[in-house]
Amino acid sequence: MISAIKRSLDAFWGRGDAAITIPSMDGALRPNSLLDQAPALVALPSPDNLVVCAGEILFSSEDGLFALKQAGPSSEKRHVFDKTIACLAAHPSGALAVGTAGAIMLRGGGRDGKVFTQIEGRPLLCPTALAFDGPDDLIVCVGSRTLQPEDWKRDLMQLGSSGSVWRLDLDKGSAVCLADGLAFPYGVMLDSSGAVRVSESWRHRVLRIEAGSAPETLVGDIPGYPARMSPSADGGSWLTVFAPRRQMVEFVLRERAYRERMMREVHPNYWMAPALRSGGSFLEPIQGGAVRHLGISKAWAPTRSYGLVIRLDATGSPMVSVHSRADGVRHGVTSCLEIENRLIVACKGGGVIASVDLNELDKE
Amino acid sequence: MNNSDFIAKWRYRLIPDHIIGEILTKEWIDTAIPVLMLVLSVAVFSILLPHFLTLTGMVELLRQMGELTFVTLGMAVVIMAGGIDLSVGSIFALANFTTLGLVNYLQWPVLAAVPVVILVCALCGLINGILVGYLRLRAFLTTLATLIILRALVDYLLFNWGTLVVASSPDSDIWDFLSFGTVFGVPFNYLSALIAAAFLHVFLTRMRPGWHIRAVGGSRRSAHNAGINVRRTVCFTYVLSGVLTGVAGILYAARLDNAGTEAGVGLEVVALTAAVLGGNSLGGGRGSIPKAVLGAFIVALFTNSLLRFSLPSGANPLAIGLILLIAVATDVRWLKNRQKLLSRVYVSPTYFDPPPLLSTDPAAGTPYAINNKLREAEPIGLDQVDGAEDIAFDRDDNLYAGSRHGDIVRFLAPSYEKMETFAHIGGQPLGLHFDAEDSLFACVSGMGLYKITRDRQNIRLSDETNRTLFSIIDDSRMRFADDMDFAPDGRVFFSEATIRYDIFDWATDSIEGRGNGRIICWDPRTNSSRTVLPKRMFPNGICMTGDDVSLFFAETWAGRINRYWFDGPKKGRVECVIPDMPGYPDNIRRASDGNFWVAMLGMRTPALDVAMKMPGFRRRMAQRVAFEEWIYPNINTGGVVKFDINGKILESLWDASGEKHPMITSMREHKGYLYLGGVYNNRIGRYKIPGADPDFNDRHLYWGKPK
Repeated sequence: MISAIKRSLDAFWGRGDAAITIPSMDGALRPNSLLDQAPALVALPSPDNLVVCAGEILFSSEDGLFALKQAGPSSEKRHVFDKTIACLAAHPSGALAVGTAGAIMLRGGGRDGKVFTQIEGRPLLCPTALAFDGPDDLIVCVGSRTLQPEDWKRDLMQLGSSGSVWRLDLDKGSAVCLADGLAFPYGVMLDSSGAVRVSESWRHRVLRIEAGSAPETLVGDIPGYPARMSPSADGGSWLTVFAPRRQMVEFVLRERAYRERMMREVHPNYWMAPALRSGGSFLEPIQGGAVRHLGISKAWAPTRSYGLVIRLDATGSPMVSVHSRADGVRHGVTSCLEIENRLIVACKGGGVIASVDLNELDKE
Repeated sequence: MNNSDFIAKWRYRLIPDHIIGEILTKEWIDTAIPVLMLVLSVAVFSILLPHFLTLTGMVELLRQMGELTFVTLGMAVVIMAGGIDLSVGSIFALANFTTLGLVNYLQWPVLAAVPVVILVCALCGLINGILVGYLRLRAFLTTLATLIILRALVDYLLFNWGTLVVASSPDSDIWDFLSFGTVFGVPFNYLSALIAAAFLHVFLTRMRPGWHIRAVGGSRRSAHNAGINVRRTVCFTYVLSGVLTGVAGILYAARLDNAGTEAGVGLEVVALTAAVLGGNSLGGGRGSIPKAVLGAFIVALFTNSLLRFSLPSGANPLAIGLILLIAVATDVRWLKNRQKLLSRVYVSPTYFDPPPLLSTDPAAGTPYAINNKLREAEPIGLDQVDGAEDIAFDRDDNLYAGSRHGDIVRFLAPSYEKMETFAHIGGQPLGLHFDAEDSLFACVSGMGLYKITRDRQNIRLSDETNRTLFSIIDDSRMRFADDMDFAPDGRVFFSEATIRYDIFDWATDSIEGRGNGRIICWDPRTNSSRTVLPKRMFPNGICMTGDDVSLFFAETWAGRINRYWFDGPKKGRVECVIPDMPGYPDNIRRASDGNFWVAMLGMRTPALDVAMKMPGFRRRMAQRVAFEEWIYPNINTGGVVKFDINGKILESLWDASGEKHPMITSMREHKGYLYLGGVYNNRIGRYKIPGADPDFNDRHLYWGKPK
């Protein structure tokens, strides 16, 4: 009862849970333009899911699986699937797991051709991230029980929290639920101690799930929505953030009548919601600070899309970051990979795979 | 329209929320709180006390109020200069004793005694004034010391001669008049207090020494730097306080004929309460005489009425103390939070149902289909212009534009490369038009309608129109003159975009969605302006249709273009000609083929259109979300549309990428080219219209071709 009164008072004053303040990007997250300045390797629509499989770099672009050629900027198409590839995972033995809306397929490494369409009785509508835990177990992140991966915007606007993380036994097909009730888990990685790290997008944090205990927050209060993670050379990890948090979007998330009406009457591309890319059509909503004066678009203007990759150290504290700001185009970063001394970044919104020289980053 | 929309529409139409914000901008809002308290207390007491509002009751009340009002006036003047006078209680007692001594004991005539008493009290005030004003001692402690010393003096005098001064009473009509005389039913002492208050008010607000008092209270250092004699001013306020307290003492002596020791005890606290309760700020500089009178009235009302409740002793001072506490707390909080409260409640969105959003898809095949034609426009004044909202041409084809700094700049024909400042007006010049004598008429936002003659003389044509009767905002002044056009008989019709906002937050008006603007007509024969069409949604471009009796005007945020008949058989009628533009129309100008160009300064977005039907959402957004994060009309893309006299859309020109001309606020066709202006753009564009008349000058349509 008391909490209900407190909640309604908070909603009236705009305080507490109804507060729409967001953490500022400062310190390790101070904005720069390194992602925009990085040379491009490949330009393809919606590149995502960079993985290393049997010594080569694979990525997905819509429904195609591509390999990145090490020598020179180009790519080679390997396979075309019947639906958009949502997630990929690779094992050093050569096994590749491909997730699409409705199924997880295995290629190579002894279980070639095996397909999973359900997980413990629930149809696999929305696999958002995969990771191999040894050759026989696959960690599967399901973003939502009812929506597909492309409808992530609707899941956010409906304040969805029906995501779950499973450990799937690839031989038996049975699965153990590691966590349930998550708000869109979008990235998964195993850390050095064997615990599972999951990035929970709509709660803008990274969770750490140890076997047998409840999930705990490893990195909280991220000023954006986190996506996939990959290990870095010094024992830490790289975390991609695919869209920024905005005061206006936080406000819309707390206004139910407006949200429902907007979802009913307006096309998802034109919602006041985070996006992988913005500015393409004038039907998209703009915010006051984004108005162009004298031909200049300010770098700090509020936008619904942003490019951000953060390096975390072994304990999860942010160390450095690579940005593409409001005046850039390399937005919507969902996946990255550290190879030798370069960071390969897949900008799903910008439609390009770029390569950031890490020596330059350390000099910053 | 569904149910919730219907309810929202009528709720916002019937309940005028915007009034709250407008009232808070008024200067007199500070006095509103004590007035409210007064009304409330009168209401409460008239319910609780049976004969409260009878005439005899009121007369008795007013008689006692007169003395308190005098002392409060003096206290208020001292407070306004930044000081405080705690010695008024003792000065009052001294005046009482001295009056009784002179009139009763020494049997002086009243008219001789009064000036002497006033002189004595002025002397006491002078002591305060020298100590605080010239020797710069602290006001609080000094007047406290004077209070104690004078009280001791009065006690000594009363001890020795107390019985003597009340032994006899004079037989004087004036004395009787002072004690219980009335003028038209109002007791004389309260009437004299009101007259004194009137004189003091005029003195403080309209005469130089009064301004000096307020200046010293507002900022002592600045007053000193401005050359005001701060010490003399402060000393004067204490002398004035002494004088007024002396008058109060005389009236008290006449009324009660009492030389008791309790005369004036605690009066300083009551006077302070009254002054602060009325709204005079303790810090100085902010306050007025009406507030002091109001405060005295309320306090006297309270104490007198509480007496009638026969509460235990001590209840009265308790009540006074509590009132003082509340008054001081409110004073401090109000001063700090008024601006914050105002900024939160001023934006008052209302319900607006936008017309359906037409498609601009190239595949749709409508005249609104997006293209990139304006990409070919050449730049004029690239990175030199700043705020060129409109463009005009003189008879030598020189190009004139406004600037954000209040200049009219011009580019010399035929290359338009050299930019020079033609004149400086101020404000932000918006609509520009030349008349037959080559004078440039300009609508200057923030100033009004101006004219610049050929030899660069600025003439103010109009900055004032008739005030609407029930408008709280003083809409007789013009904040946002936008565009204008000439009627055949020389009258000028011009638009005022909004009466609630200025040029720097003009887009906030889009969040409101209310008809805050109007169309005004200036008549050169009477040299005055009159509002002809009130309550329009950001009226912007104005253009004559060519039939000499009607004009087109754009309502920007509503996305529509209307036709208004100002003459002829249909005079006064307004018809909507284009109800559903996909963008926000700005200025309208005439084309060479008899049709019309309209600039679209931005495009409508579905997310904002949904929000226009939800005023509660927009109001909460305006209160909680930072200004740069608000959802805004998309003024990063603009275009130009051509339509005919019936409102049929003929073609549209765009810069789809928004690189060169993100927003287009005005365009003018001149000699085969279309010139594009945008108030936030860094250039003026010049687009060659294929197949257009190479000799066209729109001034010929108004003034005929020059011979």
